[in-house]
Amino acid sequence: MNSISKGQFCALLLISDMFTLFSLRGAVSLGNVSGISAGIALQFLVMLVFVCKGGELKRWAKAFYLVYSVFCGGVVFAEFLRTCDIISISHEEGNGLWGRLITAVLTAVVCLYCARAGLRAAARGAVIVGAAGALFIAADLLSALAGGETANITVPHSRGAFFEVIRGFAASGSLGSFAVFSYMVKDRASSAAWYFGTRAVLSAAVLFTALAETGRISGITEYPVITAVQLSQPFEAQRIDSVFLLLFSVAAVFSAALQVITGAHLMSGLFPQTGRFGYTSVLLMMLAAAFIFYGNDLAVVRACAAAAALLFAPVGAKISAVSDSG
Amino acid sequence: MEKNGLLPSLDSSIKEIRRISGGSSDVLINRFVSGGIHCALLCCEGMVSASVITELIFEPVTGIPQQKDARGLYRYINEELLLSTDRPEVNDYDTLFRLINSGFAVLIAEGMTGGLAFGVQGYASRGVQEPSGEGNIMGAHEGFTETIRINMSQIRRRLKSPELVMELLVKGSKSHTDLCLCYMKDRVPKELMERIRRSLDGLGTEAVLSTGYIRPFLEGERFEIFDTAGTTERPDVLCSKLIEGRVAVLVDGVPYAVVVPRLFCESFQTLDDYAYKPYYAVFIRWLKYAAFLTAIMLPSLYAAIVMYHPELLNSTLFMLLVEAEKKAPLSIVTESLFALIMYEMIREAGVRLPKPTGGAVSIISGLIIGDAAVNSGLISTPLLTVTALSVLCGLVVPELEPQMTVLRLAFLIAGGALGIFGVSLLACAVLVNICSAEDYGFPYTAPFSPFRSRGMGDTLVRRGIKKLQHRGFTVEEYHE
Repeated sequence: MNSISKGQFCALLLISDMFTLFSLRGAVSLGNVSGISAGIALQFLVMLVFVCKGGELKRWAKAFYLVYSVFCGGVVFAEFLRTCDIISISHEEGNGLWGRLITAVLTAVVCLYCARAGLRAAARGAVIVGAAGALFIAADLLSALAGGETANITVPHSRGAFFEVIRGFAASGSLGSFAVFSYMVKDRASSAAWYFGTRAVLSAAVLFTALAETGRISGITEYPVITAVQLSQPFEAQRIDSVFLLLFSVAAVFSAALQVITGAHLMSGLFPQTGRFGYTSVLLMMLAAAFIFYGNDLAVVRACAAAAALLFAPVGAKISAVSDSG
Repeated sequence: MEKNGLLPSLDSSIKEIRRISGGSSDVLINRFVSGGIHCALLCCEGMVSASVITELIFEPVTGIPQQKDARGLYRYINEELLLSTDRPEVNDYDTLFRLINSGFAVLIAEGMTGGLAFGVQGYASRGVQEPSGEGNIMGAHEGFTETIRINMSQIRRRLKSPELVMELLVKGSKSHTDLCLCYMKDRVPKELMERIRRSLDGLGTEAVLSTGYIRPFLEGERFEIFDTAGTTERPDVLCSKLIEGRVAVLVDGVPYAVVVPRLFCESFQTLDDYAYKPYYAVFIRWLKYAAFLTAIMLPSLYAAIVMYHPELLNSTLFMLLVEAEKKAPLSIVTESLFALIMYEMIREAGVRLPKPTGGAVSIISGLIIGDAAVNSGLISTPLLTVTALSVLCGLVVPELEPQMTVLRLAFLIAGGALGIFGVSLLACAVLVNICSAEDYGFPYTAPFSPFRSRGMGDTLVRRGIKKLQHRGFTVEEYHE
């Protein structure tokens, strides 16, 4: 596989993170914003050590990241299916179990197609999706600034900073992909800075929007960011939920496709005999994981998995003769 | 066919020629004596100019003084006479037939195993006319014709630089079609040229009758919705592509040139853009991007919103659509599919039918679709408006019409079955397909993705010519 540019790599990872953020559950507060920011800062520092060591993984680390990508992919599918009703994914078959199954299968098929097109194609597509997404987030932020209330911006009462950092850690779906593919990017240290920096800014922007719109009711909404989008309508006579539904679905597909690409890449390295079936087998494992995760709150498990992914990156990195300089 | 030279005996050689041609009546063999040597002049009826052949060949050749042998005759012709500017050598029957079938006259003589060929083409061909498919207001009104030599001269007239190279190739085991590889040798990446040559080497078809016969060999193997090898029927457009370091292939008998590599953004650029003020050119360019999206997405979004997401409509629009749709007997998707497929059928009929009948088709289709279908209540007026608008937008970017036609139907089915979610899924697949299109290392979506800020000056916007002239742009900047 050839190298990809810093911008493409960052866009692909950010779309995945945005999906995780869109499907964030639980009350939103200033503490949550600071927790996520702290989590990102910590991740950046550890990943900087990893990229400076060379960015290539040992065999056992690859095996771990394969499991981690299946876990993350399963979480993406589970979260997507869970949010179907809230973001009004509807079709001829209705919204029961059958409807969700169809949604899952169709998403998986498109995800498989996107994954098989390869990392470069997905990364190029991510740049275009990222540009459209940035426009949407900007419009949403502006409408939130106009319509939101400063009184909504609150600090948490019951939960401590540690809990918020844990939540911040959990709100990351692309640490594994970063660790696996960072060696393909020419300017690794700079791309790490770009990625984590942009992610911090975008996360803060999205969370502030959610906070301004749903601050007081975020405790009773299951998905505060989605609710915030539904509440913040920039145009009086026209709702824009459809744009969010488009963005959300596209982000879900790209997010899952990234995990499939990561998993298949690792699988082909660990088990070369899998060949082109790597994509399908990784996707099937993810779907199986999604049905196990479906209905469970995995915040703590996700945070632990993210912490492990973060820890294993510098530990599992091969010492490269030429450390990264760009 | 005999590859080891012509037979030395003139009679045997003529017999062999008659055998190979099967006694074809258009192969003309004129026997005569020149300089005391028995000769024959071969040509193909209708392919040569009678006046040119008489003035430039027969008159000088019959006046040649006595020669010692045929070798002396050939030497005299080659050194003393200037019968034609295009004089390839003939050493076998394969070449002989290829040349006489291309409008050359071939002289063979007793005792010689080779022949002399003279370019005296004079076949009937269409003159240079305005291109029918690529309209232009402010630029030249000349298009390519079916004759490759005329097309080559049209390019040369516009690019007088010695850096412009035109290489002639012959492809097609039966058609022996002339192809011309055009490029600017100082601009084109060497690797691109080598890879294109390798691609054309793989062309083993029996005939090359249109650009469609060579495009699959120049494009990638994987399934791509959009064409990564473009075509143009305008010499001025082709020259602009050559200057940017692209490679063109002209095909004899086809008034189009194939251009490689092709980028998505090029479909939205016309030569007129550079004749207008930049602000207007930018407006037109954005209009085309919007038209492209509208052409593909409008019917599907209409179906998706009306069927699954009516909350997105404001109350006035909602009531208007409800009023219109409740009278229609068919579902929205069926109605839309009916209208779109009817349009495609009428369009296809209009293209293939003779011109006088084509007018009648337009009137009937206008009456049937525009009036009767709405009045009878088969199709609602808003849906017809949406369909017409979508089709009209598709005509703004005619190069992408085949893709838009199919994608419009696909998106409609996706939107009708799954709402906006279906549209999103299909949009993802199409986006990834476009982004994966890459031939010879040039991504089809460049300079948008991979993003190249320098490329934005002539894609997203159109900067002034004064700024663009210093850019020194070649397509190699987009190579990955």
